Formats: sequence, structure tokens, C-alpha cells
Amino acid sequence: MVKSKKEQELLLGTLDMLVLQTLVLGPAHGHTIAHVIEQRSDEVLQIEQGSLYPALHRLEDRGWVSSYWGVSENNRKARFYRLTAAGRKQLTVEANRWQSMVKAIGSVMQNVTRTAEQK
Amino acid sequence: MSLRRFLHRRYWDEERVREVEAHLAEEIDHNSARGMTPQEARRQAYIKFGNPTVVREEIRQMNSFVLMENLGRDLRYGVRQLFRSRGFAAIAILTLALGIGVNTAIFSITNGLFFSSLHIRDEGRVVEMGFEQKGDSWQPSLSMPEYREVRDGTLNVFSEVIAERIYLDGLSAQGNKPDRVLSSYVTGNYFQMLGVEPFLGRLFRPSEGATPGSDPVMVLSYQYWKEHFAGDPNIIGRQVAVNSYPVTVIGVAPRNFRGLVTAPQVQVYLPAAMIMPIDHEPLATFNKEDSRSKHLFGRLRPGVTRQQADAALALVARRLAVEHPDSEKDAALRSFPLYAGRLGDLDSQSIYMTVSAFFLGLAGLVLLLACVNVANLLLVRASVREREMVIRSALGAQRSRLIRQMMTESLLLALLGGIAGVGLGAWGSSMLSSMNLNIDLPVHFDFGFDSHVLLFSVTIALLAGTVVGIVPAIRLGHANLNLILREGGRGVAGGRSRFRDALVVLQVGSALMLLIIAALFTRSLAESAHANLGFNSANVLLLTMDPSEIGYKDVQTRDFYQGLLEHVRALPGVDSATIAGSTPMGYVNSGFDTVTVSGDQPSAGHAAPSLNYNVIGPDYFRTMQISLDEGRGFTDVDKESSPNVGIVSAAMAKKYWPNQDPIGRQFSMSRDPTHPIEVIGVAHDVRYQGFSGPIDPYFYLPFQQHYATNSLNTLEIRTAGDPVELISEVERSIHNIAPMLPVFEVKTLHESLYSPNGLLIFQVAAGLAGIMGTLGLILAVVGVYGVLSYVVSRRTAEIGIRMALGARRGDILRSVYRQGLWIVGIGLVFGLAGAFAIAHLLGSMIVVSATDPATYLSVSAILAAIAMLACYIPARRAMHVDPMKALRTE
Repeated sequence: MVKSKKEQELLLGTLDMLVLQTLVLGPAHGHTIAHVIEQRSDEVLQIEQGSLYPALHRLEDRGWVSSYWGVSENNRKARFYRLTAAGRKQLTVEANRWQSMVKAIGSVMQNVTRTAEQK
Repeated sequence: MSLRRFLHRRYWDEERVREVEAHLAEEIDHNSARGMTPQEARRQAYIKFGNPTVVREEIRQMNSFVLMENLGRDLRYGVRQLFRSRGFAAIAILTLALGIGVNTAIFSITNGLFFSSLHIRDEGRVVEMGFEQKGDSWQPSLSMPEYREVRDGTLNVFSEVIAERIYLDGLSAQGNKPDRVLSSYVTGNYFQMLGVEPFLGRLFRPSEGATPGSDPVMVLSYQYWKEHFAGDPNIIGRQVAVNSYPVTVIGVAPRNFRGLVTAPQVQVYLPAAMIMPIDHEPLATFNKEDSRSKHLFGRLRPGVTRQQADAALALVARRLAVEHPDSEKDAALRSFPLYAGRLGDLDSQSIYMTVSAFFLGLAGLVLLLACVNVANLLLVRASVREREMVIRSALGAQRSRLIRQMMTESLLLALLGGIAGVGLGAWGSSMLSSMNLNIDLPVHFDFGFDSHVLLFSVTIALLAGTVVGIVPAIRLGHANLNLILREGGRGVAGGRSRFRDALVVLQVGSALMLLIIAALFTRSLAESAHANLGFNSANVLLLTMDPSEIGYKDVQTRDFYQGLLEHVRALPGVDSATIAGSTPMGYVNSGFDTVTVSGDQPSAGHAAPSLNYNVIGPDYFRTMQISLDEGRGFTDVDKESSPNVGIVSAAMAKKYWPNQDPIGRQFSMSRDPTHPIEVIGVAHDVRYQGFSGPIDPYFYLPFQQHYATNSLNTLEIRTAGDPVELISEVERSIHNIAPMLPVFEVKTLHESLYSPNGLLIFQVAAGLAGIMGTLGLILAVVGVYGVLSYVVSRRTAEIGIRMALGARRGDILRSVYRQGLWIVGIGLVFGLAGAFAIAHLLGSMIVVSATDPATYLSVSAILAAIAMLACYIPARRAMHVDPMKALRTE
């Protein structure tokens, strides 16, 4: 349960990015966002749905998303989130950072695989 | 976190809760659609979601300033806790309030004496000049010629120098009976140098005050104007009479300016040279080189230090000594910082500082005792609350949070104690401000509350809270919580803590120190009150008057007193009556002059001695019951026309005519060197100032030969019965002879001994020290009792086992007693050592020896006895422990 602060930050940052990415397609409510992330990752990313809400709260606080009450496809009242201009910009920043990190990790891991193969 | 969200945190909390509920409903629908049973759908939804409460809490924390919210919660919790244990809270708050109150009161005196503002421009740049000549004390008095020399010789260091002389006059408005005022004769540049602006009208011009009689103008103090002229706005231009001499009111000084010189408040200001027409001071005396009666103050030029000023003053002193070798030999000058509410000599300032610091130290000791007591209480409570803390920590509270919680509680206690303490302190300082000084002077002590006092109180309250709280907090920090939980906080042995013992040692030691100091002061008071002063203070009535206040001069004054004495002697119940310029321990001194004894050359490097003297009427020695060792007293023979005669004190006879007969010898005074005085008698030594130390040489002159310069006199009447009963009759006699003459300082000689120059200072010191000693004693006894009671309650099980194993009650009693006595004993040793170390700082404040063994022993014995009693009650309780019960409760 208890994670180090750094680890949490990394995960949170990632979750923020995923949420923002989901909203590029259009406004959605929390439940949809959670399912979209899971489905698009072929059920690999099993997020604890509860942790979505603090993330949404934070994103809204920073002005990256805005929210309004609407009606869900199942005819329930739900809070919908929409990407703001600032959120779009932030998504670019995060996506770039993510890309470079993946690249960096990738090249490290490549070396590892190569070393492993040589053995 | 943002402020917007913080302010709307309740709204957002509800929003998110609704949102989370909606999410769960969606998920449950989703699951049901996939064919799950309603129960399973619900379960899976919750598993997938996690704990909604944690989510809610996380969001809530994002919306709040955690520290502040925690503080609020801790405070609320603390208040609830204190409210739940009201008894404990009341005792702790009261204890702290006493400690803080004593400190506040003492500090308000120190603040009033040394740090309150004089309300003049750039106060720190104004200094007072001191004069010293004979290697004794620095006097705040210089002569007019010396003023001119200083003013003209220090132009490079002082931008301006002023002189001021304090006097007593009679002020009559519209021909009414005069009112006695404390007047200040100042040089014309006085107000300008101080940067004081008028409240009404104008103040003096630099040109005023130089020529005798040319500026009959007067400035009133704001307070005098309010009280005696009802704040009349048309006062400017009004004619009044000072000692029957007409002067015009030209202005009123501002409200907060209360003069510079002493605690008594100046009521009217007059130009310096006006003292000649108003008080009949001859020009020769006004300009006399050694007629030193003026206070001098200078304003330092920008950038000039006091050291530089002192160097310039030293040059002036050297020039004075060369130019006037007879009166200025070995003269020394230097500057002193200016204090509000100054008392006495320039040197004695430092004594008052020391005394203030000393009493602040004592008050600090009381506060320490109070803190130790409360810390002890908190420790006891902490062990009672150990289970609570353990449970809270098991539920996930961080240790730092728990410590913060404890600190919040003790700071809350200290804050409440501080508020109560400030109240107590305000009451105490108002009591001290309104203390009866036993003198008819407009004395004003401002021991009130200003920002300094408040800041001080708040600071010590917070300090006390930290000291008090830190002990249990540290203990909690170190405690092994699991162990406590397992033991359930009820160890079989234990309960004895070295730390707690050390606190009690500290308490007993501090209390003993306080009590010894208090006892030294009390014994000094008793010793002084019963000291043989050389006269009999019983059954003597005093009334003081000054006929010059109604314009009487020379012969008129003489005839007035002659007639009055004849009249008073004829009254029934009067044994004898006389008049005198000086009374013992009074504040008016009829004479102080340089004396040359024929045949006695002052040893090289020493100026001629200055002695105090008293101008007295006939029957003085009989009325005061001062015995004449040799020769005769003054009689009607000693008239103005007959040769000048004097009576010397035994000390003077011994100093100047050792092993010789002083009768018939001669000495002369500097103010009239051409008329030597022949000694006709030797009187027993009398203490006119102070109660201890050697008695200075002194002499007496007959009023008949010196009435011209001594119109202020005290009528002294020895009565057969209670002197108070004669007051109205004597006042009527005075009124019959001189209806307009104000009479003041009406009291018995015995009462007059309790004046500020007399026993008052011992009385105040003994009173303050006594209060603090008593507080210390109570706190220490409560401390010893509390700790031992606690120890016994923790040892109940152990005692039960011991008794079950065959220990007798006496053994148990002894065991508890031994523990108590051991700490008390160590405390006493520390206290004795501490008192021994600090008592010598008291110096002249006490007349008994600072190491008086009787005081030390008796006070220790009393404290030991009371401490033993405090041990006895818990020990007795231990003795009566029922072994069966004790073991069963375990």
C-alpha cells in the first residue's frame, strides 16, 4: 500500500497523461475513462478505478480539464470531463516526456537483452 | 491545493461523493449486464474501485492546508481534553497564571522604571551630566557657573545643554490659598532642546531665564492644568502668584511629557533666573561656583558617542579645577544615560537596575517552579493517557502527530494560564502603582500595561508552554509503545523516575532560595524598624510648612514660627515643640555645605569635606529625645546678634577633634566663611539617612541665627498621648496665625520613617519577596506531595506484594518516606548553595548579613518540616494499602 513518494509521483504523472489522452476523443465521464484506458491497453493496465478521481480533481484544479454534469449512455447523472486548451498543451508536454523516457528505457533494456543473449 | 478549493472544500467534498456514487452505480450496471448476480455485481464494483473513503480523504486532503487543519483539530481535541479533566486544567492554569502573573507584575515595574518613554525627541541622544568631587558618589547636581562652562566648552559634542532645578513653591490662583507645587526652574532652551511642543499657548524661548526677574512667565504641566484649572482653555495669559510673586501662564506642556528628573512629577515650569525673585535666592548664591543644585542634560550631536562626550566633559572639569582651585578641586564630570522614572543618585541607578534584575530573577524562579509543577502534572497525565496514545498510534497515528497533539495541549494550557496571568499581573502592577508612598508629593509611577509588557507576558507564556509540554512529549517520543500496550500501563514495579525526582529536587531547591531571600528582606525590615536611630520616634507629630509660599520674608518668617511655637506649647497634651529643617528619612534636607575646620588641613588630594546639617529651633533635642553628650543646647541667648554657634554630632567631634574637647572649637561654612561657628555642644549620633553603615558627621545650627535662608520647616511636637489626636487643633493654630499658609506632610514621626527614603524600600522588597517565597513554598509542597502520591499509586501492587510477603506497615512507611526525604534533602542542599551564591548580590538592600546562619538554618528547617508533612500523607496511604485489594486490582 505504502509507496515511496517518488514512485507515486511517477505513476500519478502517467495516469494524468493517460486520462488527458483519453479525453482527446471528446468529453467523457469517470467510468468511461476508466474502461477506455483498460480496453485500449488490452486490459493490461488495470487501474484501481478509485484512484481516477483524485487525479481528475487535480487535473481540474490545474485547469487542464473542465467538468459539467450530464447524462450517461445508461441514463444516469454523471460528471463529464472535457479537455481544455491548457490541457491539450500539457498533454503534448507529457507525451513528449513519455516518448523520450520510453526511448531511454528502451535503449537501456536493449543493451540488457543483448548482454543476456551473448551469455 | 488552492485557496479557492480550500474555501469551497465542503462543496467539492459533496460533489466528489456524488460522482463516486454515480461511478459505482455505472459499474454495478455494467457488471449486471455481463450477467453477474446483483450481489456479485456490487462486490466486483467495489473491488475494482477500491476504498471510496480513502479516495474521498485523498481529495479532501488536496483541498486543505493540512498543517492548519490539523492544528485546528488538535486545538479542538485539546480543549475537549482539558474540559474533560477540569480539575487538572484548573490547577495547571492557576499555577501557570501565578508564575506568569508575578513575572508580568515585576516586569511592569522594571519597564516603568527603565524602559518607558520620556516622550521627548530622539530620547536616546539625550544624556544627563554627573558631577563627582570627593571620591564618593556621582551627583546629578551642578552649579550655574558650571552649567555655563559645560555649555560653552562642549559645543563640539552637544548641540545643546540645558539646566533644571527642582523646587517646591506655593501657587495661588486668584488670591486663593496657595497650593504647593513641585516646580522646575529651567534654562530658556529647555523645551526646544527636548523637542517638546506646547499643548496650549507657547513654551519658553531660549532668551528667557537668563536675567533675574525679567521673564515672569510660567508653563503648566498638562496634569496640573487638568486638575487645578479644570483644563480651562482660556488659561493662557492668566495671572497667578508663585510665592506671592505675580507670573503669567503662557502655555501648557503636552500630555505625555512628565518632566525629566525624578519619579515625582513636575507641575509647573519657570525660567531659571526667576528663582531669585520668587524664592529670594540672592544673585551671589545663584552664581556661586559650588551652589550645586541643577540637573544638566545635553543632546549629543549626530554621530557623537557618549565616550567622546565624556572626553569633552573631562576637559571642562580639568579647566574648572585649574580656574577655581578652592571650589572645583578634583572635580570630575561625565555623562549618564537618561532613564524614565529615575530615583536618587546617578550611581544608585545601577543599584535599582540590579535590584530590578534580582527581583525579575526571583520571579523567574517562581515561574520555573510553576512550570515544573505543571510538567509533573502533565507527566502523570501522560502515563495515564499512555493507553490512549498507544491505541491511537496502533490505529495509524504518526508519532510526530501525537507529539504535536501533546504540545498543542500544553501550549493551550500555557496560553490560558498566560491570559489569567496577565490579568493577575495587571492587578498586581496597579496595586504597586497606587502604593502609598507616605509623602505629599505628586509621585507618578507608570507601571501600566504597554506593548513591552504584553510582549513579555506572551513570550514567557509560550516559553512556559514549551518547557511544560516538551517533557511529556519527549517521553512519548522515546516510549516503547508496544511494551506499554502489552503491560497495559500497569507495571508491577516502576513508577520511579529519576527525571521526576530531579524535578522535585529543582522545586525544593528553588523554593528554599526564594524563602531565604524573603527571610533576609523581612529580617532587614524588622532590624531597621527596631534599630536605634538616636531619637525616640514615638509620640511625635510632624507638620511641614513654608511661609515663603505666601510671600513671607526674613523677620516675618522668624516671627511666624516664634508665635506658632508659643501657641502650640500652650496647647494641652503638648510636652514640647520645636521646628527643624530636616526630619529623619525625609526628602527635604535643610543644609549641605563645605566645612573648614580651623586647624584641620584636608589631607593632600582631598577637597574640604561637605557635611549635612540641620537648622533647628530651641527644644529640638528635648522634643526628639536626642541626648546631648557634652555642652548645652541652643537657648534664647543664641540670637542673631550674638556670635554664631553650632552643635556637632559625636561622629563629627570624633573626626575633627579626636581626643580633644570640642567645646569652644570653631569651624566655618563655605556659604559664610567670614563668620566662624563656635561649637557649644556635642549631640548623640542620629541616623538621618539609611539604617546601616557608619553614621556621617553632622551638625546643627540655631534657627534664630539662620532664619533668612530656612523658611521651609517641620513643626515637631512631642505629645503626652496619641499625637494624631492633636492634628486638627494644631492645624487650627496655624490657620489662626497665617490663614493662607498650606500645611503638608502631616503625620507622626513614626509614620514618616516608612517613607521612600526610609523603611518603604525594605517594606516593598520584603513584601514582594515574601509573596514570591510563599508562592514558591506552596508550589514546592504541592510538587513533593503530588509526585509522592503518584509514586505510591503506581507502587500499590508492589506494596501489596511486599505486605503479602510479610513486610510490616512501618517498613512500608519508612520505604516511602526514605524516598521522599532523599529528594527533599538533595533539594535543600541545592537551595542552600543557590541562596548562598545569590544573596550577596543584595548588597545594601539588606542590613542583615547575606550569609546570616540563623536565617539559613531556620528557613531550611521550616521547609524541611513542611516537606516532611507533604511526604507523610502519601506514605500513610501506602501503609494502609490492603494487600488483597491491591493484588486483585492488578
